[in-house]
Amino acid sequence: MALDKEKYQAFEDIVGKRNISQDPGVLETYRCIAQQSSAHYGPYVDHMTPLPQAVILPGSTEEVQNIIKLCNKYKIQFKASTTFWSAMGFIGSDYAVQIDMRRMKYLEIDEKNQMAIIEPHAIGAVVQAEAMKVGLNLNVPGVGCSSSVLASTSGWVGFGPSSYFMGCAGENLLGAEWVLPDGRIMRTGSLGAGAGWFCGEGPGPSARGIARGFAGSAGTMGICCRLAIRLHPWPGPANFPTEGTIPAYRAVLPDNFKTYTLCFPSWDAYAQAFNLFFENQDILYLGHRQFNMFGRDAKGAMVNILTDPDKQFCDLPELMKDPYIKKQTELMKIDIQVVIAGMTKRNMEYKEKAIDKILELTGGWKNEMMLKPEIVNWVLMYLLRLGHKNLNYTFCGAYEGNYGMSPNHFVTAPLMEEASEIKDKWAKKYTSIADTGGDSDMGSISIIGGGGATGWEFFVNFDAYDKDSIKGTKEFIDSTQEWMFKKGLGVDMGRWNADLRKSDGKNYSQEEHDAMYIKMPQPMFLTYNWKIRNVFNPNNLTGSYYRTLTPEKLKTD
Amino acid sequence: MGNKKNELTKIVGSSNVFDDPAILENYSKDSSFCSPMIPRLLVKVNNVNEVQKIVKWANKTNTPLIPVSSGPPHYKGDTVASVPEAVIIDLSGMKKIISINCQHRICIVEPGVTYGELQKALAKEGLTLSTSMAPRATKSVITSILEAEPRLNGLSQWEFFDPLRCMEVVWGDGNRMFTGEAAQGPLDLEKQWASQKWQVAGNGPFSTDFFRMLTMSQGTMGIVAWASLKCEILPTIHKMFFVPAQRPEQLNDFVRRVVRLRFSDELMVVNGFYLASLLGENAKEVKQLKAELPAWVALVGILGRKLLPEERLESQQLDIADIAQQFGLRMTPSLPGISGEKVLNKLINPSDEKCWKETAKGAFEDIFFLTTLDKTTMFIHMAHMMAEKAGYPASDIGVYIQPKHRGSCYHLEFNLPYNPDCTKSTQTAKDFFKKASKEFSDMGAYFSRPYGIWSRLQLNKDAQSTMILKDLKGIFDPNNIMNPGKLAV
Repeated sequence: MALDKEKYQAFEDIVGKRNISQDPGVLETYRCIAQQSSAHYGPYVDHMTPLPQAVILPGSTEEVQNIIKLCNKYKIQFKASTTFWSAMGFIGSDYAVQIDMRRMKYLEIDEKNQMAIIEPHAIGAVVQAEAMKVGLNLNVPGVGCSSSVLASTSGWVGFGPSSYFMGCAGENLLGAEWVLPDGRIMRTGSLGAGAGWFCGEGPGPSARGIARGFAGSAGTMGICCRLAIRLHPWPGPANFPTEGTIPAYRAVLPDNFKTYTLCFPSWDAYAQAFNLFFENQDILYLGHRQFNMFGRDAKGAMVNILTDPDKQFCDLPELMKDPYIKKQTELMKIDIQVVIAGMTKRNMEYKEKAIDKILELTGGWKNEMMLKPEIVNWVLMYLLRLGHKNLNYTFCGAYEGNYGMSPNHFVTAPLMEEASEIKDKWAKKYTSIADTGGDSDMGSISIIGGGGATGWEFFVNFDAYDKDSIKGTKEFIDSTQEWMFKKGLGVDMGRWNADLRKSDGKNYSQEEHDAMYIKMPQPMFLTYNWKIRNVFNPNNLTGSYYRTLTPEKLKTD
Repeated sequence: MGNKKNELTKIVGSSNVFDDPAILENYSKDSSFCSPMIPRLLVKVNNVNEVQKIVKWANKTNTPLIPVSSGPPHYKGDTVASVPEAVIIDLSGMKKIISINCQHRICIVEPGVTYGELQKALAKEGLTLSTSMAPRATKSVITSILEAEPRLNGLSQWEFFDPLRCMEVVWGDGNRMFTGEAAQGPLDLEKQWASQKWQVAGNGPFSTDFFRMLTMSQGTMGIVAWASLKCEILPTIHKMFFVPAQRPEQLNDFVRRVVRLRFSDELMVVNGFYLASLLGENAKEVKQLKAELPAWVALVGILGRKLLPEERLESQQLDIADIAQQFGLRMTPSLPGISGEKVLNKLINPSDEKCWKETAKGAFEDIFFLTTLDKTTMFIHMAHMMAEKAGYPASDIGVYIQPKHRGSCYHLEFNLPYNPDCTKSTQTAKDFFKKASKEFSDMGAYFSRPYGIWSRLQLNKDAQSTMILKDLKGIFDPNNIMNPGKLAV
């Protein structure tokens, strides 16, 4: 079915001629390689998300509401996205319109109440720059600073290096203005009461629960148009200092900022250190195992390449043989990068002492090479701004997050060597994935504020333009998933979305979801999702990223 | 009703079903100004299977159920039926502390467990749970957390409802499930533990936060059979300090700065009368303390756990004292005749069965809502102005300001004591309560926990939100058997 002229005109009446398009060239840019999770050019590179019938750019909540009402009238599917990081922001049906939210970019910093009120196209870097002017900062999630803050807060998970200190995106969500799929506007908490943006809960039960759980509903529960997030202290300069030559941009920060690569003699010690950080929740400003994404063998050399503008990727083999780098890389086999930020001189002294004490208790140490000023300043820039997402693709042009293992670090840490060995053997036997030394596990010290659940994934680098590499990577990922099931580790992070969009880029049908979800240990909750969708999305217009099970499929006594 | 009694007896046994008018009379009212309503039956339950059977039975017989977990007395009207023919389902006998996991600092408790019971068990394991201010001895931990009572460590609440994590719930339609990460494993805690799942993450599963359907719901959506709660390491050192002031606004910048820099473990502002009510053992003492205590005081708690406890405490103590000085204030370890230790002990430990707020005059009513710190002074001034007009003694109003959700919002509470034996005192307090609630609502107070008359005040402000709430109620409690009439839905 095609969107006829009359319907197109109706949408155009809402947003104006300049903000809607059916130009085939434009529409083609609103397609995405269908993959399982984030921006990873996954194994299904042959398939693209469907071509939208039109692309519409609303400029206000009222326009969004009118668009959604029209979609309901004509039973047209819709999906909103802003910075289009991954397939979940794209449509899953041939009869659908893509809503591009980039015109809505309002940003207001409320310094006194430590919050920012934002629209979809206020990206992380912009919110951060404005917040820092008044001594505040935000949790920039793993998606990086060039992505929409509203999207990760309302639509997806939103944890990152700073979530230990600043909380996950969902924890920072305050009031929100949300156009539900049936066209109603939900204003959560204090906002609905006309009291301001400071609270997103209640009155009574919190309606935000239908649209934002552990993850957001990936655009299936309507379109969030504006929300408030809580901001956190930034005891640094009003302007984030940036110097150096690309790609080695650095941030020279005052003495109350320090970054260390903390190393441990065993995974057991690593897990013990994590627990100490979790028990004492005010030590770190940020904690992330970042540079291990380049692999256990290559990370030291890669850090040297990336911090020296005169070095190139082709220097990697030689640098890996350099005795000093080799030794330092070996010493940071089991490591994590941390940033501490002192609110006062005394506070900084306490945090330094606490780090040293934790290292003493766990037999750990600070990596010497990572203390070089040029590396320190580069790491601070990298982790505090999170603007280096391009480096995820450095090795082969593509990667997949794999072995996203249990958030229970006491379970995961003892398995790390076994997991690394599986990858190492595969990489040495086949050429489909990059051989970076087995362990390429990386991720956040915590996916919730204050710590308690880790967010780790192995980086698997492959060539997205080589069919054999893609095929081999898929086989590798299938095998690691099998291993994870055997170990009781559940579904791999890279497969979180595997049940939400088919490999041909299209939505799953209800029958297909029913067949999958009836097998879940507690399928009951999915029948409530079905009922929620029926009430708030009666025409089922937002695709299959909302997990539902038809209640009749569940036999109850 | 005889038939209903027989049917309930089949589920829980005759010793757990009560229709004695004297017993039911106790459940027909509470200490609030809510209208009384005598329930038909009281049923005491011991486990989730009984709960589920009763909810299914209530759906078949169209019987309203009023869940009650805390022991008496009650103060907010939410445990009093709003409709006739109701059955009180008393969960206070469900007292199991199901597990304490030290590694993840998670405990799992049933609804009848009180703070005193839980803290004692946790202390044996070197743990503690954050608390609301001096919770009464019979207060259910789960209810206090589900109803989002302000917690003294609001600056450690990354999530608005911390320390709440996963739950087991029987929804109003009689279905039973776990919430949060626990919903993704089998409906059996022991099986989950065997695979090292310890109910740590409360959100979800996936994109729906089922626990948010139950929080602040006054028992209108379902019945919680257990909840997992995030604990903290038991402090090895814990001190309380005071920052006195003449006027509340003098403390705002101080509080804002302490919150901004993430200092302190407990932080709140109270007026002299509120603190006197907490500390005084009788009405005379309260009166005396009120005369001696500063008009306003910020209470600042700092603790040290296992890692460098003295260093942490000393560092924060000095930094916070510096902040106080920066704003022309002074932080002290004691007030005249009152040590920090005494106040700390009163704050964090359970009080008697009767709420300590009754000490001053024998009864009280609270008005509380959420707002931002900068607006608290405006509300306080209005309260005093209105009290004068209403003939209510303004100097007897207790005020409590508590940062919540890491200081994103502030619980502002006005405590209105009155003499229940004096008709005039009671009526004056009642009138003042009603008028002030309305006025505060008009001024932008956010009644996130809309008990009694506040539900209409609050929900009438946004028709769309009310409709959405009604829709949600229809999903989880389609026959409207769970505490009908509450929340104006």
